[in-house]
Amino acid sequence: MNAISVQNIQKAFGSNVALKDVSFEIPKGEIFGFLGPSGSGKTTLLKILTAQLEATGGHAAVMEMPSGMMQKTAQKRRFGILTDNSGLYERLSIEENLDVFRRLYDLPKSSIDQVLHFVNLNADRKKRVNVLSKGMRQRVTLACAIIHEPELLFLDEPTSALDPVNTAHIHKGLRYLNERGTTIFLTTHDMTEAETLCERVAILHKGEIRAIGAPDELKKVHRDGTLTVELTSGEKERLSMNEDSAAAIAGWMSRGQIDRMYTNELSLGDIFIKLTGSELV
Amino acid sequence: MNVSLKRIQAIFIKDYKEFSRNYAVSIMILFPIAFALLYRSEAGDQAAIYAFIMNFSLAMLTSFVQACLIAEEKERNTLRSLMMTPASMLDVLIGKSALVFLISAAVLAFSTYLFGYETSNVMLLTAALGISIVLYTAIGTICGLYSKTLLEASLSVFPVLIIFTAGPFALAFEEQYPFLEVLRYLPSSQLSELLVAMEVGAAAGELARPLVIISIWAVVLTIISFILYKKRLMDQ
Ligand SMILES: Nc1ncnc2c1ncn2[C@@H]1O[C@H](COP(=O)(O)OP(=O)(O)OP(=O)(O)O)[C@@H](O)[C@H]1O
Ligand SMILES: [Mg+2]
Repeated sequence: MNAISVQNIQKAFGSNVALKDVSFEIPKGEIFGFLGPSGSGKTTLLKILTAQLEATGGHAAVMEMPSGMMQKTAQKRRFGILTDNSGLYERLSIEENLDVFRRLYDLPKSSIDQVLHFVNLNADRKKRVNVLSKGMRQRVTLACAIIHEPELLFLDEPTSALDPVNTAHIHKGLRYLNERGTTIFLTTHDMTEAETLCERVAILHKGEIRAIGAPDELKKVHRDGTLTVELTSGEKERLSMNEDSAAAIAGWMSRGQIDRMYTNELSLGDIFIKLTGSELV
Repeated sequence: MNVSLKRIQAIFIKDYKEFSRNYAVSIMILFPIAFALLYRSEAGDQAAIYAFIMNFSLAMLTSFVQACLIAEEKERNTLRSLMMTPASMLDVLIGKSALVFLISAAVLAFSTYLFGYETSNVMLLTAALGISIVLYTAIGTICGLYSKTLLEASLSVFPVLIIFTAGPFALAFEEQYPFLEVLRYLPSSQLSELLVAMEVGAAAGELARPLVIISIWAVVLTIISFILYKKRLMDQ
């Protein structure tokens, strides 16, 4: 069963084409990462999937319903969303902000304590939002998005403002949610996040998917087929995989001259740059 | 229609907290009270002065607060977040309007008491003011929807304030400028007329007319505000 299924989605804003022809599927229970340079259409797609925007072509299904239905009350309970412009009530405390959401979802009071623990803000719960740091705000908006433990979670750059300790804490929480059955669709500019958290990723460029698959698979596909041998003398040899290289390696090996040996894989970041031709943003 | 009492209550509570902490907006409750105290011992036409205080308060408090509540929710992107929860557009609008209605009703009642206005027909006065609050809330919604920021919203209420509160007075020049006749149909003029008619003990028919006109304003503006609300918020 698919949590999300996107077929030939297109979106143009006037003459500006944000999404050309995007198709992919996300099975239930997966953590899926959407990568792509700034302006490649990630947020646009996320808005289409949550019925905040209408596509100009193609078909998208979310939890087996047309994505346009996502603004129906019954559907809205099933997903949660964090975007870069999710607003908070500035004059209310963290706790009071969460209380608004708790009431709207009709949840018990204890859900606030749970979610505060999740985002590591229990100690600051009485603080007014207008005095919070950027990273704290981001965690409050995340808390608002997950307070009802949705089946499907959309996260638009969830950790962009967080320090490594809080990022790791949030990742742990997201994995826990995922184990309890939440499918997670996230966009990120952080390749480490994509690699450590996501089972599969897609790389979007200029409104088209350039690669999709598990990070390891992508690395396999994009490796350049060479091997580096580091010798005990300190020399480094880069070899292609052929018989001559095999003979050379056998020679070094018999003389005990090999220190280290590895295939030359690209990192996810390298693949990203290779496919999108741009630096990380 | 998709509304839920629980969700309306959630919006109501939240807006109450925000209102009570937003002094730039909540200070508006002082205007009607100050006016009532200021004019209480004034000699002259009690009904006309009282009508002026009520008309002024309705624009300055009811419309102003509603416009600010709506505009701020847009400016801060919180409406977007609310729309992603089970809350419907109507839940949000009704929750806000209910708060503004209650605040207005309480403040107007208190001002009436302070002013010492006595009426022969409490029911009729209550009905006229109640319907007026609905009407001015709708105006506030419309002003809030057309403003992008809190500041714009507070400014947009001033034309309403001027036309609606000055309208009944401009009627004095009706003989020189016949076109001013249209001002007679402003809800503020009608409220004025109603109060004066009540004072002189007019017949039921004469009392009913202003009330009906005010009600028509309330119904029409409420419908317009709902339609605009749905439309304006959809395409953002
Ligand atoms: N409401 C809109 N009106 C017009 N153009 C838009 C609108 N929203 C997005 N776009 C355009 O669509 C393209 C994709 O934007 P989008 O926000 O989806 O990028 P993104 O991948 O999320 O970028 P980032 O990583 O910076 O968040 C951009 O060219 C942008 O200018
Ligand atoms: Mg984006």
